[in-house]
Amino acid sequence: MAVSATLRAATGRGPLVGFGNMVDKEYGSWWRTRRALIHNILWLCVINGILFLIGVEEGRGNPYNALDSLIQVFFQVGGLFATVGIVVSTQSSILGERQLGTAEWVLSKPVTREAFVLSKLLVNGLSFMFLAVAIPSTVFFLQTLLHTYLQPKPGPFLVGLALHAEVLVFYLVLTLALGTFLRSRGSISGAAIGLLFAGLILPNFFPWLLEFTPFGLQSFAAQLARERSIPVWAWQPILLTALWTVLLLLVALWRFDREEF
Amino acid sequence: MANEAVIRTKKLSKHYKGVQALESLDLEVTRNSIFGFLGPNGAGKTTTIKLLLGLVRPTSGSAEVFGHDIVGDTIDVRRRIGYLPQEPRYYEHMTARQTLRFTARFFYEGPRPAIEERINDTLELVGLADKADRPVRGFSSGERQRLGIGQAQVNDPDLLILDEPAASLDPMGRRDVLEVMERLRERATVFYSTHILDDVERVSDTVAILNRGELLAKAPIQELLVGSDGVAYSIEIKGDTADAKNRLSSQPWVAEVRVTPESGRSRWLVRVTDAEAAESRLLRLLLADELCTVTAFNRRKYELEEVFMNLVEENGNGR
Repeated sequence: MAVSATLRAATGRGPLVGFGNMVDKEYGSWWRTRRALIHNILWLCVINGILFLIGVEEGRGNPYNALDSLIQVFFQVGGLFATVGIVVSTQSSILGERQLGTAEWVLSKPVTREAFVLSKLLVNGLSFMFLAVAIPSTVFFLQTLLHTYLQPKPGPFLVGLALHAEVLVFYLVLTLALGTFLRSRGSISGAAIGLLFAGLILPNFFPWLLEFTPFGLQSFAAQLARERSIPVWAWQPILLTALWTVLLLLVALWRFDREEF
Repeated sequence: MANEAVIRTKKLSKHYKGVQALESLDLEVTRNSIFGFLGPNGAGKTTTIKLLLGLVRPTSGSAEVFGHDIVGDTIDVRRRIGYLPQEPRYYEHMTARQTLRFTARFFYEGPRPAIEERINDTLELVGLADKADRPVRGFSSGERQRLGIGQAQVNDPDLLILDEPAASLDPMGRRDVLEVMERLRERATVFYSTHILDDVERVSDTVAILNRGELLAKAPIQELLVGSDGVAYSIEIKGDTADAKNRLSSQPWVAEVRVTPESGRSRWLVRVTDAEAAESRLLRLLLADELCTVTAFNRRKYELEEVFMNLVEENGNGR
């Protein structure tokens, strides 16, 4: 390449060539557009808005009970809506680029397919966590103070948030993986959200599913944040969910590596 | 060094479900050439380009670009290539400047001012300086194509691959594209696919014709325009031509004299086996005959379209 005297040619090697540039591009799609602002408003309205309405009612009773109820509702509402949200907001992250032709264009440059997929995972994951978990959680702390003059204990609450985040990452990776296989947005979101709702219903009939799937993790998150104990076997689905996430990611990378444009 | 192969394919093949998109392609593209890749729609041109870029994998065969294997060393290959897709697609929220910056950062680590300078130069070159900070979503197809050319050469590539670069452009846009290609010839190799034969004749020095995934011909353009049936002369004659025809037919270097009568004159096609003998003696023989007058005399040169159509039709149409 005929590089001028001042320009320094990129010489990186390995599976993450082009990762930094892809991360910057993904970051820009969230934070240099109105997307982040829209998500911010949406999640404040959905999560904190619902909690405000509940808080007004609960705040009239015993403040400790009210705080307990609010934490539980926070994790229920956040767990359900944020999981649906992460699926919907990332369903076309890979599929859209495959269909529009931008993936073909980008992958004609010196960038690996691993960098392409992992940049989406990193930036979508962090951006969504910040907008749909971190900010609503911070506001939630102010809300509980407003309604009950109490606040959740930060330690247990953070442990609960960590489990909540684990579930979100699982569904994010699932959505990205589905995006490497399927050819329509409907089937991607249908499969991912279908699994989410199956997780609400199926354990009633097959309780053993809770031991192997992320279906019970949101409930464990709420219990931990409320300083309640969780079943002894709960470590198993927590570890298995992390394992499923890693396996799904490997499947996504494997499949995307074989994609032809 | 000048004849060093930039692209070398060996029996490169690509098979999709039920379709042989490319069949055993053997091709060499030499350094600093403008190589036109011709063929009807579905001939396998885009497939070849995508194989070179690592966007699809070969079913069999192999290829090297600058000595790097297109499968195993695809990043090294792409580092030296600028590519313009057939229908360039960009991130709609990005401006032209951001698009070029995004592209440039795959090739350069820095320093930032030098990258920005390269981006500004590219914007000037493709005539988008005044629209540099507008989102791409508002660009016309011509502006998108200009941006495409800009992003393809922002890394000052050693090999520029253009897939139908002028297909969606107006005449001025086409002229600009061809000018860019000619300008780049000094320091880069240009490999482009097209079905606009005028453009090929104007700028290419070597041409390959592809049909149904098979290479039908590959030659320097001047050689291709001579035609596949040897050297021939096209002559227009008035008067009594019987003696002239007999005299000409008796020459050992004349293979065929085909006469087509027209009103008051006749059109001759003379195919010869010895181009040098024909060059020195053919016209003299005709002029020596006082009963006829030569009104036109040309060494027959084929139009590229004629060559192209003949080859494609001989091979069966592309579909």
